[in-house]
Amino acid sequence: MTRKYRRVLVILLLTMISLLILYPFAWMISTSLKNLTDAYNGQLIPSHPTFANFLAILNAGADTPVLRWLFNSIFVSLTAAVIVMIVDSMAAFALARLQFFGRTFIFYLVIASLVVPFIALLIPLYVEFANANLLDSYWVLILPYTANAFGVFLLYQFFLGIPKELEEAAYIDGISKFRLWSQIMVPLSIPALTTLGLLTFMNVYNDFFWPLVSTTSVAMRTLTVGVQIMAVGQYNTNAPLLMSLTLFSIIPMLLAFLFAQRQLTQGIATTGIK
Amino acid sequence: MAIQEVAVQRSIRMPRKRITRRVVFDQIGSFLFVVPFLIAFILFIGYPIVYGIYISLNHWNPIVGSMGWAGLGQYADLFNMQTLAAQQFWDGLKNTSIFVVISVPLLVLIPLILAFILYRSPLKNLFRPIFFFPSVLSATAVTSVWTWLLQTQGGGINNLLGLNIPWLVEQPWAWISIDMATIWWSMGFNLVIIYAGLTQLPASTLEAAAIDGARSMRMFVSIVIPQLRHVIAFVVVTSTIASFNLFAQSLLMTGGGPGSSTESLSMYIYNQGFNAMHMGSASAMSYLMGLVLAIVSFVQYRLTREGNEG
Repeated sequence: MTRKYRRVLVILLLTMISLLILYPFAWMISTSLKNLTDAYNGQLIPSHPTFANFLAILNAGADTPVLRWLFNSIFVSLTAAVIVMIVDSMAAFALARLQFFGRTFIFYLVIASLVVPFIALLIPLYVEFANANLLDSYWVLILPYTANAFGVFLLYQFFLGIPKELEEAAYIDGISKFRLWSQIMVPLSIPALTTLGLLTFMNVYNDFFWPLVSTTSVAMRTLTVGVQIMAVGQYNTNAPLLMSLTLFSIIPMLLAFLFAQRQLTQGIATTGIK
Repeated sequence: MAIQEVAVQRSIRMPRKRITRRVVFDQIGSFLFVVPFLIAFILFIGYPIVYGIYISLNHWNPIVGSMGWAGLGQYADLFNMQTLAAQQFWDGLKNTSIFVVISVPLLVLIPLILAFILYRSPLKNLFRPIFFFPSVLSATAVTSVWTWLLQTQGGGINNLLGLNIPWLVEQPWAWISIDMATIWWSMGFNLVIIYAGLTQLPASTLEAAAIDGARSMRMFVSIVIPQLRHVIAFVVVTSTIASFNLFAQSLLMTGGGPGSSTESLSMYIYNQGFNAMHMGSASAMSYLMGLVLAIVSFVQYRLTREGNEG
């Protein structure tokens, strides 16, 4: 009896916390569906719901190219994720499975770069790209993310767990190292690789500080910076438009969350173990 | 050492001269796999770290570059309270520390307790994604929504509670606002990590802790927490690093205000480098901040991870 009572209590408690967590989200959706006169009336369910705000932000003109920002964000994060998956997988394979001069040294480099705070890189990276004349381009938006030591570490752990017999059998068959990597190790590591790809996509897509400083033209901004520009600028006094833009900006992450929630949580969980 | 081992193995089958060549080629072939990563590492981590030291030793303007050698002058300035740079640095460090001291305990304790409740509750697969969901959002999306929620007039929170609190424009509300938004945002991330840690514990530990009543809480404190200390250490350190880098919430929610009370260290460095155009000084600030951060996380790690082992 008390046990059943407790269970109900726990569910009630968790439901209340869930509602608290979902409230900001509901408030955003609600505001995005209101017209400007209703925006400040405090109703959670809009009395005159409208999609006009979404149409307005999509057709906002050349100084607010929302679709271009979306393209930039997706293109940049996708490219960075693919590069990281390839580069990190190769490096992790070599570090975990091959013998070569300097291996231990490189492994320590990987570990050391895990603890470098981004703030220490901000200014020299900016000056480096300014010197190379690559500011305000896709290069500057993608390249810095390709040095991803976390991914090497994640895949390294995974490759360590693959039984040695598999690779010995492959060598006896006369397979090259490259084919061992591309045809055996990569297919085996797809779950870990997908997780790394998703996490990288998410981090790059959501990053704000670097695209803020490294881009200047409206056309090269990413969505996160776009939201900030509009929040302090034109949409500062127009909550429905700002909430529509904000909601629009999180759609890709919402989709990732809905379809790959399990992989995302597993990926994050593995970062904490060990 | 490794080379010799391989050489010995190979020598059973091959004549001597070819052995060394083969081994060298073999090693080069293996090394090629790490070359792409090494290039990215050198270009975007290794070189900038070294180059940043050089920048911090110069008076550096983002447009013209070096405007003269400064030596350690810009570091020394940070310890001379007569200079604006020092006043900003220590003010920023103070503000950031206030945030860290409030947010980190909450960002560890709330997920820890929630994970424990969740682990033993029915419907965990429904609740866990809801708790985790805000973690996938960007800093600008989070701050944009919360800024609107916390408006004094018409904002969702004052509306809901029937209050008239000046959340973003007066202290202590400004810090409470930033903390609420941050906890909402990143609590689920820590929860997922701690929850995973719980599932790794031996079943007997949790069964012991599952007994009802006051004993349950005592078991939680005396048995579950010590066994989770590695995970907790990880969460404490990563949350501290993340909170130390406080930037978007201050910039976008309060604009550093009221006054400069929520102006974080990252914001000062950003302004010093990109608005005041003193990149050399900003670099010096960021290296000193990096050093502070490294020391704090090292001490924390030692304390949380090894404290219980005596």
